[in-house]
Amino acid sequence: MDALKKIFKFLSSMTFAIILLVVLAAACAAGSFITQGQTYEWYAEAYSESAAAWIMALRLNDAFHSVWFVVIALFLCGNLLLCNVIRLKSLIQKSRQAGEPKKEPEQTADAMAHQISDPVQVFERLRMPKPKSLEQDGKQILFSVKNRAGIWGAWVCHLGILLLILGFGLGQMTKAEYTVYGVPGQTLLIGETGLFLQIDDFQVNLREDDTVEQYTADITVFRAPQGSTAEPDSEHAVISVNHPGRMFGMTFYQNATGWAARVTVEKSGSPIQSEIVCAGEYLPVVDLNDLVIVFNAFYPDYVSVPGSMPMSASSKLNNPGYLYSVYYKGNIIGMNVLLEGEQVTIDDYTVTFTEPQNYTLIQIKKDSFTWLAFMGGITTMIGLFFAFYLQLQAVCAVRDEDETWTVYGFCNKGGKLYEDLFSRAVQNTEKEAGRKE
Amino acid sequence: MLQVENTLFTIVMLLYFAAMILFFVYIAIKKDPVAKIAIGLQLAGLVLHTAALICRGIGAGRLPFTNQYEFATSFAWGLCLVSLIFLLKFKFPVLGAFSAPLIFLIIGYAAMQSKDVHSLMPALQSNWLGFHVSTAIIAYGAFGVSFVLSIIFLLRDKAKEGSFWDLHIPSREKLDLISYRSVALGLLFLTFTIITGAIWAERAWGSYWSWDPKETWSLVTWIIYMVYLHLRIRRGWQGKAAAIFAVAGFICVMFTYIGVNTFLPGIHSYK
Repeated sequence: MDALKKIFKFLSSMTFAIILLVVLAAACAAGSFITQGQTYEWYAEAYSESAAAWIMALRLNDAFHSVWFVVIALFLCGNLLLCNVIRLKSLIQKSRQAGEPKKEPEQTADAMAHQISDPVQVFERLRMPKPKSLEQDGKQILFSVKNRAGIWGAWVCHLGILLLILGFGLGQMTKAEYTVYGVPGQTLLIGETGLFLQIDDFQVNLREDDTVEQYTADITVFRAPQGSTAEPDSEHAVISVNHPGRMFGMTFYQNATGWAARVTVEKSGSPIQSEIVCAGEYLPVVDLNDLVIVFNAFYPDYVSVPGSMPMSASSKLNNPGYLYSVYYKGNIIGMNVLLEGEQVTIDDYTVTFTEPQNYTLIQIKKDSFTWLAFMGGITTMIGLFFAFYLQLQAVCAVRDEDETWTVYGFCNKGGKLYEDLFSRAVQNTEKEAGRKE
Repeated sequence: MLQVENTLFTIVMLLYFAAMILFFVYIAIKKDPVAKIAIGLQLAGLVLHTAALICRGIGAGRLPFTNQYEFATSFAWGLCLVSLIFLLKFKFPVLGAFSAPLIFLIIGYAAMQSKDVHSLMPALQSNWLGFHVSTAIIAYGAFGVSFVLSIIFLLRDKAKEGSFWDLHIPSREKLDLISYRSVALGLLFLTFTIITGAIWAERAWGSYWSWDPKETWSLVTWIIYMVYLHLRIRRGWQGKAAAIFAVAGFICVMFTYIGVNTFLPGIHSYK
């Protein structure tokens, strides 16, 4: 039983919190230095065989989603929760007591001053609220307190971090994410949602200096009609970078762009296939699947410099150049750049590239717990503000037998700086009193 | 406007340099009027620095926070501002002698960067840019001051009783409290930076947290300062251990700022 108590005490202790924070920082740093999401072979090539073995064994290739990282986060949540639960009662008590003058202020005061003739001035100089006049043990007392909410700062901050981790964790577990890409006129199925996304228009707005000002996609999302005569249930939005759209409970982001072109395959002079292909994609020939056309890259303003890689002089469509490669049974049989109007012939087949245009890549996301994570973030910030800038202060003045006052000052985390502040307020009050006399 | 900014920037560098030299002279000859002139020069530098940043903003047609040069000069501005506030509030000119070289180092780094004005890429065209970067500037400035204060704290032990250092540097307890206040300011603003960044990332990239190296190192920095705060209230670890963590925290800040861009490029690496 004692052992259990000891374990419980340790798990809820500040020492454990500090250990967890240091381990978490080290884990984050390690995760940032090691390229994430690669294979054993990649790490063996980049580092060494033994390093790769360690990386894979410790799951450092996916550090932020590994079991040990989640365990650290869970321990931190447990520590924060226990800390908050344990402290709740004493904080409520402390908060209540903060509103009353202390029974023996001389023993607990951070600063005190005797023989003050005008204590109200000291309250004012310390920017305290108007003091209440009380009587305690036959003595007159002036008492004022401010920033009582500050007592709750660390507690609120802990709560915020808990909400943040909870929101993030739940979001990671339940979120749905899809990516679709295409050119205007295309209709694309969004994963298993049963929804379709139609790209009505896509514009890349260029500035005079050829830099991109904005990518704007005009999209319609609809659910397939249930009967042949029924109208599809649809929503429409114009989305651009930094301006996502919200439809059917999901958020649509204009995420990326690239070039696409129409690839037409003819056999013995008759067209057999014509499809829009994005740069980086491949197209198996429809009646000879072993023959594959790869659209490697696109150069809108192609310039050929002998001895160097193909390049584009600008992003304007002045001289379209299509870098392609042809594979047969998995082996590369040709690679070149085709210009507009040119074609490549492979036995009976001829391939042409036309209609260069920008495609849009749209990211679709549904995370029902984003709000919780943001609530957590804002709560954390409020907690920090309370803890740092609403430090509990109390001033208590007791009337002595000689009709002068003794003033006591308390400030949570004030220390020597509060002592200085208090002394200045007292000195200035006394100076003022001296001048009046 | 950009020409005016260029001229102002040169004057600001000279003023910061002169202030740094005068702070050193103050330490050497121990005359308070020299410290007053040094503070005056640094204040003048800050005013002209503000004017330079405004000119840059007008000339570029946007907030001057988007490339290495702009952030470096803004960082130096933030550090100078926070340093002067702490120096004047706590009547502590020796702080200037330690913070001035750091300010000069950062503005020197800014001077080495390209000053070309480039148009903003779509992801950076957001009102969140102002909130996110301006809070980072104050956070970094405050952490810079806490770093300087922690160095002074660690050196203070060597001061002989009654010496200039003993008389002109606040007590260990006060230094610790002043350092705590600058960390508090920095941490509050860093939290604001991370939150505004997350809101912005959610709108621009569709994910409020992607474990991008910059994000990750901001979190590491935040954690280090959280450890500092807990160490301060833990018996036996106050003072020296906390000061060492404040120094480590600022090393993290600098790594997040320069190291990540250099060694760990990600979606934050806007050149």
